Amino acid sequence: MRNHILLNINGKAHRIEGDAAFDTLANYLRQEVGATGTKIVCEEGDCGACTVLTRRAADADYRAVNSCILSLAQLDGSAIVTVEGLRDANGLHPVQEAMVQCHGAQCGYCTPGFVVAMAALFERCDRVGEKQIRDGLTGNLCRCTGYEPIIKAALTVDGAQIAKIRERYPSLPDAHDSVQVGTFCAPATLDEAIAFKRDHPGCTIVQGGTDVGVWVNKRNYTAPAMLSLAKLDSLNELREDNGTIIVGANATLADFETFIADRIPELARIMAVFGSPQIKNAGTLVGNIANGSPIGDTLPYLFVADATLELNSGARTIPVDRFYLGYRKFDLHPDEIITRVRIPIVPDTLKLYKVSRRRDLDISAFTAAIRLALNGDQIARAIVAYGGVAPTVIRLPRTEAFLVGKSASLDTFEHAGRVARGETTPISDVRGSADYRLQLAENIMAKFWFDAFAPAAVAPPARRLVRWRPAGEL
Amino acid sequence: MPSVGKNIPHDSAVGHVSGESVYIDDVGRLRGELIVDFVWSPVAHGQIRSIELDAARALPGVVALFTYRDLHHNLFGPIIQDELLLAEDVVSFIGHPIVVIAAESRATIRAAKAAIRIDIDELEPVFTIDEARRRGLFIGKTMTIQRGDVDAAFASAKNILEGTFINGGQDHFYLESQAALAVPGEFDQLTVHSSTQNPSEVQDVIAHVLGLPINKVTVVTKRMGGGFGGKECQATHPAAIAALVAHTLKRPARIAYGKDDDMRITGGRHPFQNDYKVAFDDEGAIIAARIDIYSDGGAFADLSTAVLGRAMTHADNAYYLPNALIRGTVCRTNYPPNTAFRGFGGPQGIATIETILEEIAVLLKKDPLQVRRRNCYGIDERNTTPYGQVVSNNYLPRLFEEIAQRGDYAGRVADIASFNASSRTHLRGIACTAVKFGISFNTKFLNQANALVNIYLDGSVQVSTGATEMGQGVNTKIRQIVADEFGIDADRVLLMPTSTEKNNNTSATAASSGADLNGSAAADACRKIRARMASVAAAHFARVSVPPAQDIAGGAAGAPHIAFENGDVFDPREPHQRISFAALVKMCHFERVSLGERGFYATQGLDWDAEKGRGTPFLYFTQGCAISEIEIDRFTGMMQVLRCDLLMDIGKPINPGIDRGQITGAFIQGMGWLTNEELRYDSKGNLLSHSPTTYKIPNIQDLPPVFNVDWIDAENPLNIRSSKAVGEPPLVLAISVWMAVKNALSYLSGGKIPKLHAPATGEEILMRMTAYRMAARGGEAREVAAPAP
Repeated sequence: MRNHILLNINGKAHRIEGDAAFDTLANYLRQEVGATGTKIVCEEGDCGACTVLTRRAADADYRAVNSCILSLAQLDGSAIVTVEGLRDANGLHPVQEAMVQCHGAQCGYCTPGFVVAMAALFERCDRVGEKQIRDGLTGNLCRCTGYEPIIKAALTVDGAQIAKIRERYPSLPDAHDSVQVGTFCAPATLDEAIAFKRDHPGCTIVQGGTDVGVWVNKRNYTAPAMLSLAKLDSLNELREDNGTIIVGANATLADFETFIADRIPELARIMAVFGSPQIKNAGTLVGNIANGSPIGDTLPYLFVADATLELNSGARTIPVDRFYLGYRKFDLHPDEIITRVRIPIVPDTLKLYKVSRRRDLDISAFTAAIRLALNGDQIARAIVAYGGVAPTVIRLPRTEAFLVGKSASLDTFEHAGRVARGETTPISDVRGSADYRLQLAENIMAKFWFDAFAPAAVAPPARRLVRWRPAGEL
Repeated sequence: MPSVGKNIPHDSAVGHVSGESVYIDDVGRLRGELIVDFVWSPVAHGQIRSIELDAARALPGVVALFTYRDLHHNLFGPIIQDELLLAEDVVSFIGHPIVVIAAESRATIRAAKAAIRIDIDELEPVFTIDEARRRGLFIGKTMTIQRGDVDAAFASAKNILEGTFINGGQDHFYLESQAALAVPGEFDQLTVHSSTQNPSEVQDVIAHVLGLPINKVTVVTKRMGGGFGGKECQATHPAAIAALVAHTLKRPARIAYGKDDDMRITGGRHPFQNDYKVAFDDEGAIIAARIDIYSDGGAFADLSTAVLGRAMTHADNAYYLPNALIRGTVCRTNYPPNTAFRGFGGPQGIATIETILEEIAVLLKKDPLQVRRRNCYGIDERNTTPYGQVVSNNYLPRLFEEIAQRGDYAGRVADIASFNASSRTHLRGIACTAVKFGISFNTKFLNQANALVNIYLDGSVQVSTGATEMGQGVNTKIRQIVADEFGIDADRVLLMPTSTEKNNNTSATAASSGADLNGSAAADACRKIRARMASVAAAHFARVSVPPAQDIAGGAAGAPHIAFENGDVFDPREPHQRISFAALVKMCHFERVSLGERGFYATQGLDWDAEKGRGTPFLYFTQGCAISEIEIDRFTGMMQVLRCDLLMDIGKPINPGIDRGQITGAFIQGMGWLTNEELRYDSKGNLLSHSPTTYKIPNIQDLPPVFNVDWIDAENPLNIRSSKAVGEPPLVLAISVWMAVKNALSYLSGGKIPKLHAPATGEEILMRMTAYRMAARGGEAREVAAPAP
């Protein structure tokens, strides 16, 4: 068993031993490598100033991730490119040059993160449109520019002139073998993984580690042991089998989002505002399930779509809504690992809702999934799941029972909203008051009716959205 | 080709995009360097009973612990000296520093914090403006601006409006949190690298608290990773704390706040609560306005009284108030001291009068823009502010006219009315608001600057001024100004780190005035050097010997006709004879003519009597108008901005690209303040939204899909190169977004004034809509107040 971590950083091999492996990549870059272009601001993956590119496999792209919440151990076998690695002997990378010319940088502190995230956009295409830019840079905060010059910069870049980063930095460390450093283990077989988890009570499985990394930074959290499944290639699975999507524990949220874009567009719509590219490139769907937050954004869908979890590669399966026993309490034994999730593609009417302070990259105040099967005008089956109103995502049996047998009218759903309100007991916290959440619990039913049954009544786009010729361009 | 007016990149842009730009925390660790942090009060108000330090002191790696007893002076403050750097017997806000820790590593700092025991008896805290008013807890005294007789006007007026404008605070959220690195030198000298907008104040406070003469302390600011006012006064605390360690232990000492701590313990934009009573005629013209302004200053004065002054002098904004009584009071509460934040009280004053005009329109069932234009300052009459300054070069009527046209205002208002009548799922609103922002520090003596210009033998130039670079591009603008004075390429001019060693007794880079003041001072230095160089050039062209050095230095040998252009120096009457700038520099050196100069600038014509609330505090006004259109989901309250149009008068921009970036950046920052940025506290005064996970500044998706920015072609002969200050004014235009929400709610409020607090979060909007829906259904209007800011 290997007892050190292997990484490539900007094409140079690094070997990390002992406790140092538990430091974050961002700290390592700044303090050991002296690559201080990577900034640390929020230490929780919400600002993007620490963005770097990582790549795990020869057939994978370099992807933007938040280096402040990733431990070196988790990254074993990865190649990393930082802002310092973008420039070459000929000068600035075209993304950097565009940011210079378009005034995309003011104070400069967020800039390296933006530059790296923007460079990642050109790994798979030569030109980017405004929507791609906005989606690709959702995980980067800038307080100076108002973003307009940054978008303009990305629009001017011609990726055809750019040598792809995967071509400039092709090599990966040879690190397919099992590795254990201190209490961290990344085994090469599932049996080893199960044994490690069984033998280390309180063991935390870190895949993207996008939440664990925050606990370490902000709550001084130390896991008794950490297990990574990254080397279990069989868990990379992401496929459709007879109307069911099978998602392995290693499949990232980004890959999952791409895979379901046409298969489950309603869920893809929520995934688009769910988190930043950096988080989705690191985090996994199974991680989102296993983390069990009451406002986990994929959970309401999984609840109403009758998703099931496969433990230890099929030794046991469990419906996702029975997996949660309480606030972050699970029906999972010490010698069990969630290996896959099976998600049926639902033919019924199904809508998802996510309400947050900021639309994009914000933790929800309230989430909902509503699924209906109709028999003519009559509701034959109703499944309603809400998040943000209880310690776990919950089903609303009284509301569901109320709906069954009724006609699918606005009146029915307004009434159902009042039932749902009476069936939830939310709390007040930083994301919203209990009153606000109760109102949402009520209103979302009528909103669903309009979306599902009267889409024509939903707002037509505003007219007269006319753009002026930009000033300040000489 | 002149450089001014050109769109050259920011002078640090290449360093920024490549990661090479150095900030305080990027400097490699120095030999013997200590890490500094402090234990701060966990309670908002309390009496310290005991501090137990022995356990922490015994920890390996803890080098020293300090309390207020280790300071020469503890009491300080920029205007009113009421602030204790380190708490003595009473703590008065969460975050008040108590014990300073100097240690060898971060891990040791954590261990030391855990080992320090501070026993505090909690005292009753004050968390609201209302409570402070009830208890009479104020900072400074009530200030008044008065014109005419409002009571007489109220007595005879047909229409009266009364209400209260309430806004929440805002965190600066500069990406680089507060940081400083103090390095001890010989004979008790100190060099402190500080991420500050105000190196001279940092220098002054360090000397004060350590009992050193000011000349032993040098403060250097290379750049900041954002300031926005948050580093005008509150960069002083970390710098002074690091200096205490470095001075006492004679080892380098660095402090860098984490983002959560920074958000929790530093102050931000002031919450305000402004009561108003207004009389107006049937056309909506204001006859009299009484505005009672109350700000939440937090625990110590900081800049609160100055912020209040700007709120009061901006409570008229673009509108003529024939009779006005504007009174302002700072309330003392147990939050961290609130401080400067881009706009400096101006936005809160302006939002109040804009609210008044919007509400007058609702009451009269008139179009709000029509009411605003009815009240707009005139060109030749109705053009004096309540404090007596004439609004000269008034472009406001023209800006209103042009934006209404280019923004298709009337057409969109009609669209929105019919949309709101038909849509059962969404609600839209539109508003046009204005800004008239006074440029100059309200405090007269601050309106001065000095600059140092040195030319080297190859013709390259170094410039040092008191301006600090926080991203706003002041150094690039000064570079362009200096390049033009010598007729050379901007590439030949380098702006040096701001240092109190080069420029003494400087004002903060604040009040949007950085380029105005420091650019003018730099130009002054250049002109003095150029006059000397011209004398040498004139002699050279005339093939006579160069006049005696003392005549040149004294200006007796002037040659004002000599031109400096495109890197050459020549006599325009004989343009075939020319010499390169670099060659002339060498020639001057050999002729023993000085190639360095200190320039000075003091803004003329200012006069402000704060006691009387009268005078001419501003050199000129930067003006603008904006129209914003928004859409609200009737079920969730989530709001989306559809289109914003901004039209401004910013004079002749020194660098149009930089100015455009100031406009877009300021507007989006203001939009954040008024929409999604909410400081939520628990009942003990702990800030709950203390990181970007919970405190939501605008992200790239929040840039409105249609975002139009333009400026009119206008001169400003009062300022350097006919430019205008631009840093703060556009932030105020974001009030149009908030006002558009209020406008949307007016479609639900049944003819009544739609109430709305700032920020207009989804929750605030949904609860307001719900109350109106209940009322419309005949139920009791269940008015749910927004959580206390």
